[in-house]
Amino acid sequence: MRTDAQLLSAAETDAHAFREVYDRYAVAIHRFHLGRTRASDAALDLTAETFAQAWLSRGRFRDVAGGSAAPWLFAIARHVLVASVRRQRLERSACERLGVLFAVDRAETPTEPSEVWLEGLDEAFASLAPNVQEAIRLRVVDDLSFEDVAGLMGTSSGAARVRVHRGLAALRDRLLQIKEATR
Amino acid sequence: MTNLPTELRQLGDAIEQAATAQLTGRSRARARMPRRLLLAVAVVLVAIPGLAFAASTLISGDVVAAGLPAGTKMLQGTDPRCTVVRQDVEYHCVLGRLPADPEVLDLKGTVEPTVDATRHVNGGCRSLTSDGRVWRCYIGQAAVAEKIIGPDFLGEHAPSPGVG
Repeated sequence: MRTDAQLLSAAETDAHAFREVYDRYAVAIHRFHLGRTRASDAALDLTAETFAQAWLSRGRFRDVAGGSAAPWLFAIARHVLVASVRRQRLERSACERLGVLFAVDRAETPTEPSEVWLEGLDEAFASLAPNVQEAIRLRVVDDLSFEDVAGLMGTSSGAARVRVHRGLAALRDRLLQIKEATR
Repeated sequence: MTNLPTELRQLGDAIEQAATAQLTGRSRARARMPRRLLLAVAVVLVAIPGLAFAASTLISGDVVAAGLPAGTKMLQGTDPRCTVVRQDVEYHCVLGRLPADPEVLDLKGTVEPTVDATRHVNGGCRSLTSDGRVWRCYIGQAAVAEKIIGPDFLGEHAPSPGVG
């Protein structure tokens, strides 16, 4: 079975490969949004936007979690959720560019985003050890090489790689646990 | 095939169809305009006096700087300054003022479209920094190749600055 990373690489020219990634994570991402919004229509729209953005930005995916796309997809889901709350309307730009919602004949969802949706949003990340949070932030957010991460954290490149890998794996597990708890 | 709930399965179908259409559209666009035809178009543009000026007019950094806030509401009032990296293709832009009301906490990697003077999408930019001060902008197909905008979005009429 191909890893998520292999599928996303193939998805550069193969929409069906991206569909396989969607099939693996659609339920988890939908649960994430449903747990936040408590509104099925809004959750479906946010799920659509999450995967539409993932499709449009698939070329920027970097395999930093042992082949798993989970941390990347949840980061996009978080971005979509935060953007929706900040703008006070559901984020739909990627769906509109791709015509996704038109294809499933969905009108704009009347649900108004609420600040409540963001409560405790980063608890999974905050639950990681500070040095792991820092390693992930440097590698994933600041886009530094493992060598640079290691230099800034006073450790070896290999240790930085392991720290980021384990941290992302733990983050993925905790995100999924949180979503299971909110079902 | 994974057993998804009906709504998610239908959504997956729609996304896959849209993705396929985007890929097909891209390859069709390439197929429609072979290299020799592109060359012929360029020759015709330069040969017609009225169009020769347009063909030879270079896109300045100021034009790209004007296109940033015109394309994105969040960037209004940020006083961008852009310099040419690759003429008519790539520009480096720095905001004089940070976005007053960023839509996301971390702007690094955020992509936004730019529009030309006629309010049509002509490219797009990607934030290189978390605070959104530094952007790398691409014009025309370069923005599509950079996956900042979709091929169908390029040239779209955008009468008012977008959000998100």
